[in-house]
Amino acid sequence: MKIIYIFLFIFVFQSNAQIADFEAINFEKADKIALKYKDENLSNLPLLSYKLTSELTTDVERFRAIFKWVCSNVSNDYSMFRRNMRKRKQYKDDSLKLAEWNKKFKKIAFQKLVKKNRTVCTGYAYLIKQLANLADIECEIVNGYARTSTIEIASLYAPNHSWNAVKLNNKWYLCDPTWASGVPNPTSYRFQFQYNDGFFLADPKLFSVNHHPEDKKWFLLENKQPTFDMFLEAPVIYGNAYTYFRSHITPKTLDNTVKQHEKVTFSYQLKIPVEKDEVYLIVEKNEHENKVTPEFVAIENQKLTLKHTFKYRGYYDVHLYINDDLISSYSFKVEK
Amino acid sequence: MKIQFTSTRKLWYTALLVFAIFAFVPMHGQSNTATQKGKTIKGVISNDEGPILGANVTLKDSNMGVVTNEKGEFTFPVALKTGDVLLISYVGYKTKEFKIKDNTTFIELTIYEEVFEFTGAPNSEKRYKSKRSN
Repeated sequence: MKIIYIFLFIFVFQSNAQIADFEAINFEKADKIALKYKDENLSNLPLLSYKLTSELTTDVERFRAIFKWVCSNVSNDYSMFRRNMRKRKQYKDDSLKLAEWNKKFKKIAFQKLVKKNRTVCTGYAYLIKQLANLADIECEIVNGYARTSTIEIASLYAPNHSWNAVKLNNKWYLCDPTWASGVPNPTSYRFQFQYNDGFFLADPKLFSVNHHPEDKKWFLLENKQPTFDMFLEAPVIYGNAYTYFRSHITPKTLDNTVKQHEKVTFSYQLKIPVEKDEVYLIVEKNEHENKVTPEFVAIENQKLTLKHTFKYRGYYDVHLYINDDLISSYSFKVEK
Repeated sequence: MKIQFTSTRKLWYTALLVFAIFAFVPMHGQSNTATQKGKTIKGVISNDEGPILGANVTLKDSNMGVVTNEKGEFTFPVALKTGDVLLISYVGYKTKEFKIKDNTTFIELTIYEEVFEFTGAPNSEKRYKSKRSN
């Protein structure tokens, strides 16, 4: 009987594992190589791919060096992104003009990429794919929809993001090089490098909360693929969620309606160990915010569960924090 | 008139024959080394509008390569042998592989643009604020 449990455990563990598949591998060497070639440029991709990968033996390390290099050397050009979005919106009902703009923008975008190491998402995904393919690693660009705290649902009439799927040891994995590279500076809103390892071989379950591929096969989820409506209604999760979580379980939606004095449950599958007292909520109401220690916190089998009760009616924004890192946001309408 | 073979003449003929054999053998040897060591490969790389400047021609699994000039031309800096694979790449274009054949000396290739549209949603750490209010 015990043996069955052990097998069951191994099986369950493996089917969930993503980056954990490579726990035995230390990426120090790959990361060092990425750092060593930080002054390389993008004018010769085969040469860059060779330099990044030739000293490494496993595909995952070779891919890691490529990913780390791209995420640490290519910056996200927000003004280019805004210009593209504006034009795409302007021409969204005129397919000829849109195609013309896309062609023109592609030229501008590739020039910027080679000359200034600046791009937008598709540029990151393109580079990862090219460099990986040159190192004989199967890798694809995945186009789809992405949601962040600042993306309006109304703007999601067409795909707005690109990321990658990579095949390592015969298994497909997901990564988001754009989001791994950095975020806008909170005050200047200019791009700043801030590598987030959570987007390297991320868990497909968590990934599907804010990434919705056009081609369903890239969910890498055989069952429980979220519908587009589920994706639009999903809570906002931030980059830090990818550091702490394998999956986001509840609440399933960003906007929730609950009863006064009803217990609301928040639950997550953890990726790394967390202490109960590191977990708190910021509850906002009428421009006032309170730091709240949840009335119930439990961590069992790597599952984190919190409970919170709203005593008064009204509208609340609730933000989950672990270790002072902003993880996710929800809004609640509390009724009588 | 009958040619008379004197011993001196015989000696000369033998010397000539030996010379010819030796002359032939090293020549044959040289051409052998040439196939092993390789040959100089030249070529022209174009896109759908004509020859392009700055395309990369690289020997697969090595750090050896060359960039095309304004006429799209290149001369590969090291001799290549049959079976070597050249990668022809240019950012924004599909990378092409070209395998050197026995008779390859000059390569003419056209590379084609990657077909895709640029999009891009930057991530945001800005805390969400709902528009619902009390």
